[in-house]
Amino acid sequence: MSREFSLEVEGLGKSYRMYQSPFRRILEAGTGGRVKGHHEFWALKDINFKMRPGTSLGLCGANGAGKSTLLKVLAGTTSPSEGRYRMNGRVASLLELGAGFHMDFTGRANIFMNGIMMGFSRREMAAKVDEIIEFAELGDYIDEPVRTYSSGMGLRLGFSVAVAVDPDILIIDEVFAVGDMYFQKKCVDRIYDFKRKGKTILFCSHSLYDVRQMCDDAIWLKNGNVAAIGNSVYTTNEYTSFQRDHIHEDGENPLSGEYPDISPEMLAGRKLPKVLDARMYRVGTDDEAYEVNSGDSIELRIWWQNPDPAETPINLGMGLLRQDMTTCGGHGTHLDGVKLEGTSGCTVLRMPNLRLLAGQFLVPILLMDGEGVHKYQEFLLPENLVVRNETKEVGLFRFEHEWADRSDLPVPTSKSEEAPA
Amino acid sequence: MSPRETEIPGHAGGAHASSIVGEVDDGWVTSRPPKLVEAFLRVFLFPRILVRHRDLIVSSVKRELASRFQGTLLGFLWPLVHPLFIFAVYYFIFTKLLSFKMPNLQPGQESAMGVYMFIGVLVWAAFGESLGRGCNVIVENGNLIKKLAFPSEVLPLNIVMANIVTMLFGVAMYLVATIFTSVWEAPGIELLWIPVLLVLQILFTYGLAMFLATLQVFLRDTAQVVAIVVTVWMFLTPLFWVPEAIPQIGGYLPFIEGNPMNHLVFAWREVLMGVDGVLAEVLNYTNDVAIPYQNAKVDEALAAGLVPEVGKLDPLVYAHSFLGSIKAFAAWSVGTFIAGYTFFIVAQRRFADEV
Repeated sequence: MSREFSLEVEGLGKSYRMYQSPFRRILEAGTGGRVKGHHEFWALKDINFKMRPGTSLGLCGANGAGKSTLLKVLAGTTSPSEGRYRMNGRVASLLELGAGFHMDFTGRANIFMNGIMMGFSRREMAAKVDEIIEFAELGDYIDEPVRTYSSGMGLRLGFSVAVAVDPDILIIDEVFAVGDMYFQKKCVDRIYDFKRKGKTILFCSHSLYDVRQMCDDAIWLKNGNVAAIGNSVYTTNEYTSFQRDHIHEDGENPLSGEYPDISPEMLAGRKLPKVLDARMYRVGTDDEAYEVNSGDSIELRIWWQNPDPAETPINLGMGLLRQDMTTCGGHGTHLDGVKLEGTSGCTVLRMPNLRLLAGQFLVPILLMDGEGVHKYQEFLLPENLVVRNETKEVGLFRFEHEWADRSDLPVPTSKSEEAPA
Repeated sequence: MSPRETEIPGHAGGAHASSIVGEVDDGWVTSRPPKLVEAFLRVFLFPRILVRHRDLIVSSVKRELASRFQGTLLGFLWPLVHPLFIFAVYYFIFTKLLSFKMPNLQPGQESAMGVYMFIGVLVWAAFGESLGRGCNVIVENGNLIKKLAFPSEVLPLNIVMANIVTMLFGVAMYLVATIFTSVWEAPGIELLWIPVLLVLQILFTYGLAMFLATLQVFLRDTAQVVAIVVTVWMFLTPLFWVPEAIPQIGGYLPFIEGNPMNHLVFAWREVLMGVDGVLAEVLNYTNDVAIPYQNAKVDEALAAGLVPEVGKLDPLVYAHSFLGSIKAFAAWSVGTFIAGYTFFIVAQRRFADEV
């Protein structure tokens, strides 16, 4: 018998009891609760949602918004304080990579122990161990103690064990992009794979790219409450626009980048520059364009304000990121020596003859300081840029190119032959 | 099987049935904490947990043991070396050096006191270590409890089992020694009692460890108190002294009889060295005491009531009975286990929030 939903959550809440001192706790226990020694902190309140098999749900929100708490409750490591939830199918949770690894044992031994901790039998692990070792690609290190591993290698091993689980419902707490770029790609591919196989995926991430790309729906949690729920593009946009207005309220930025955030102390008492809006147009027209063909000419218009240009000189930057988070290109006013003056304006970046090949690209816009080192704000274009092309060329770009017939050119003689022995 | 688990065909893996689940009603996991009665009833499901998580328990105990000796030169010889040296020291100090003998020993039984203490210390080490380490086991594994859904009741069990295994190394050592050396007469059919003793000892230690581990989660002073209590308790338990040999023991009998570890240690000695017979034979010290008085002053002494009449043996003021000890300890074991387990289950759902 299978139910319509793989996961149902009704009115779920989680509170933590905070005791000021052990004495208070004793007092409360001793008086049977008549003297209240604790105050309650609600990390989650009134969460409701349902998921069908084959769907994925992302959680976004600031640090401490309750994302991890919700995942912990659903993973079964902690109990709800109110409400209820129901799961239909096998659940696997991946709250932390390598939880339970023992440093003195070999990678292979840890694979077994970790798998058994996760509920497998020894025999099942014996059947999976080769696949796990192959995925982790640790080579001969697999038979060395884990303490000799670099931290990246430990994470690789942890992830490999975790994804060997074949659950119906997968709960992941921001742990799927680990290791070097190569391995990150492998992890993300694995998660996509799960999704294709019709598994229900629930995960939280600070990366709005991930949420947008991997999830059908998303929930934005704010102080333990649902601030927005719905289609992942809608929810992440809500979250981004909230952050746009409250950048100084929570120092966290949704997009990780190479540009560090400006610290709150640096911002104290200042009127902040801000990107008001940004849209993509066909060059010279007012037609917004998010679906374009290779070779089209487009322009990005960015409206900004800067109440105090003398104190806070600004620069604008933009990037084109493909779905798999490959940065395909990026431009900045500071790189091109363009000055943004005045207290407000609209800056246009023209990109004639777009050379990108087919793909979906995120377009983040960075509002940076005068040196182009720190960023004030990151603004995500309301829609992803979808590029189509009709040709069968491969790769990311179509370079300006031509072929020619030059049979008159002789084969060059190599230098080693020319040189006397 | 609870409905939540029946949804998991064959329980092929990936998820332990979470043990903190308050109520399972048509698959719903709710916030209602388990009632005391429900927690109590869970005790009867314990064998099923053992079976379902046997791989987890076996591999964790192995890991617990291996982690003590991993990377050492002698490796798994260490659990043998340890009791060997303890035994050697006790034998040497108490038998050879201090001539700390039980009186009236049969030939070949001169080492009685050394063996007596060795067995006591061996059993106590498994118990005391289990409480000391077991008390902290939930707090120490806090990260694991927060991040992995697995039955945390196996954590104290691992500690207890690892110590039991270490103890068994010592028992095996002792048995080999009795066969190949003249240190003591090799025990016979009584060895069949060992499984019974082990089960009871595990239940008792595990129950107590679960109780203390739970308490430690909510009150971190517990470990400090446990360290003191275990030390005091060790000296109050007849490890280094023989209650039968103490004439003035009469007034303290409730302390002896009320100490479950006294019964356990005695039962082990009974099984491994047949101490009952030894004590009965050698501790009728009245003969020894009477000898100096036999010549001249015996009548005087008798008249003064100092010495009982020669030939008339005083019954021991206190004497163990093997079956009585087993019964008493069994009652303690089952009671402690049920209480400890119930307490643990009731509190379990809050572990992840407190550690």
